[in-house]
Amino acid sequence: MLALEGVSFAYARGAEELFGGLSHVFTPGVVTAVTGPSGRGKSTLLYVLGLMLTPSQGRVLLGGEAVSAAPDAVRARVRAHRIGFVFQDAALDPTRTVLDSVIEPALYAGWRLGDARARGSGLLEQMGVSARAGHRPGEISGGQAQRVAVCRALVTDPVVVLADEPTGNLDRDNAAGVLAALSAAAGGADQAAESADKGAGSGPDRGTSEGRTVVIATHDPFVLDHADEVLAL
Amino acid sequence: MRWVLVVREAAATAWASKVPSALVGLLVAVMCAATIATVGRTAAAEQQLTDRLDEAGSRVLAVADARGEGLLPATVVDQASTLSTVERGVGTLIPVDVVNGVIGQGGTRVPAWGVHGDLTAVADLQAGRWPGQGEAIVTDTAMTQLGMADPFGWVALASTSEVDDWSVVGTFTPRDPFGDYAAGVLYVAPADQPVDTLQVVLTDASAAQVTQASVLALVDPPTPDAVTITSPVSLADLQAQVTGDLAAFGATLLLGVLGGGALLVAIVVLADVLVRRKDLGRRRALGATRATIITLVIGRTLAPAILGAALGVAAGLALAARLGQDNIPPADFTTGTATLALIAATTAAIPPALYAATRDPVRILRTP
Ligand SMILES: Nc1ncnc2c1ncn2[C@@H]1O[C@H](COP(=O)(O)OP(=O)(O)O)[C@@H](O)[C@H]1O
Ligand SMILES: [Mg+2]
Repeated sequence: MLALEGVSFAYARGAEELFGGLSHVFTPGVVTAVTGPSGRGKSTLLYVLGLMLTPSQGRVLLGGEAVSAAPDAVRARVRAHRIGFVFQDAALDPTRTVLDSVIEPALYAGWRLGDARARGSGLLEQMGVSARAGHRPGEISGGQAQRVAVCRALVTDPVVVLADEPTGNLDRDNAAGVLAALSAAAGGADQAAESADKGAGSGPDRGTSEGRTVVIATHDPFVLDHADEVLAL
Repeated sequence: MRWVLVVREAAATAWASKVPSALVGLLVAVMCAATIATVGRTAAAEQQLTDRLDEAGSRVLAVADARGEGLLPATVVDQASTLSTVERGVGTLIPVDVVNGVIGQGGTRVPAWGVHGDLTAVADLQAGRWPGQGEAIVTDTAMTQLGMADPFGWVALASTSEVDDWSVVGTFTPRDPFGDYAAGVLYVAPADQPVDTLQVVLTDASAAQVTQASVLALVDPPTPDAVTITSPVSLADLQAQVTGDLAAFGATLLLGVLGGGALLVAIVVLADVLVRRKDLGRRRALGATRATIITLVIGRTLAPAILGAALGVAAGLALAARLGQDNIPPADFTTGTATLALIAATTAAIPPALYAATRDPVRILRTP
């Protein structure tokens, strides 16, 4: 379970304080849309939840632990094992194949290459982009790239998925596809994860199938319409 | 992250950014080739000098009783031979001429040396046995000259006024540096007769100074000119001086080449890290630790550096060989150079790696 406890954040000492001591519990299995005007701190909040920025006040709890206060190496490990990221521009490595991009977090999480590949291929299959597994990001469309990014966010079967304007650069159809994928991810462990679990010794951290916490920073009305919960900043 | 996968990622990164990788490889290759072709030559020269000075001929200390005052009794020879800096030693008498005893005074004369001490210090026995008192051994050359078919018989002093003779009991070849004895006969000197010359072979040319002092203390000449000394002391001094100069010159050159090369490698890697900061920021966001980033940056440097070192060593050796066979440095110098160049490249990659690992990934990801 992911929670914010009285969180404020400032980019520099004396700079504008964002969030003003925000507390919020993100329920597993629920898609939460974080919204608000541009510059209000939607992206910043996601980075705080993703343990890349440390709150100036308050803390971020994950599974009851104050992970925001942990040392850098621990936070990196939490990111690798328990948090998945989707960036606005897919941020795939242009020099590597789609499958190599998808399995990247699994490598940082210490998975074997074979296990990571099996899991990544399964996700690409589910997302309907398995035909592109051997291509480079320059050879696929924006919609496909964002779906690949969703696969990458899910590869370690994380408890939390954070997406920053994932539909910002997409047309309606592609946006709907990506949102559907994120909603499905909130629903619980997917088939690929289950089959990978059986085969692989290096299992994911999540024991139960209560669903993932999905947080989407967005100002896309389409996403807001379909989110289970809206957190306005 | 598993080690094999770190290596795989580092190699993939090195392959992806080909220009910086090629530059790193080239720099390390030049470092190795330049070192081998320049410093390697001094190392080769130093090696030759050392080899030459190590030859037994460069390690002989000889003390002669200049006026025949009996300053070199058998005991002095025995004591000098057992000094810790002495490998072996003997005392010899002034050579006399001998002839085949069967032929008599008309026969061909060959030189004969009376030796006190361990004969194995100067000769290797080929046939027969070592001589005792009143016995002698001969070389094949001397045997032919004396007109002996086998190393048996006897030799007599080639003199009309004195009479002395020795039974021949074997043949020998002289040991380095006593090649002079190849022309003649060695006989066992009477134990009660002081020798004319004391010759010792030192364990190391650099021990000449101390050994000379110890030997003179044993001999205890009444005046300094009572003995004449032939010593490798000045040779040892020369060696120390020359190798010292060469080593200092080589070290300075090596430091310059490696230091300059490392600086350029650091600049190339830093440029690569700056160009690929988005890549590194993404890795951090996706869960790579700082240690992983540092390892990846060092690994992506080391991969082309290893290739460069191999090419550079090959090129350097080829260059040295073209300049002459004598310029090829010893093998341990070559492997040492490659290792040092790789250490220098690795060290050079550390500051850019630290820089990359400590950047704020959020700031990087937000920069379009
Ligand atoms: N690296 C930074 N340093 C200082 N201020 C920043 C930095 N990044 C963003 N900001 C500021 O923080 C505020 C929130 O930014 P952001 O989280 O991107 O908002 P949103 O995603 O809601 O548009 C903005 O006022 C922005 O100018
Ligand atoms: Mg934003």
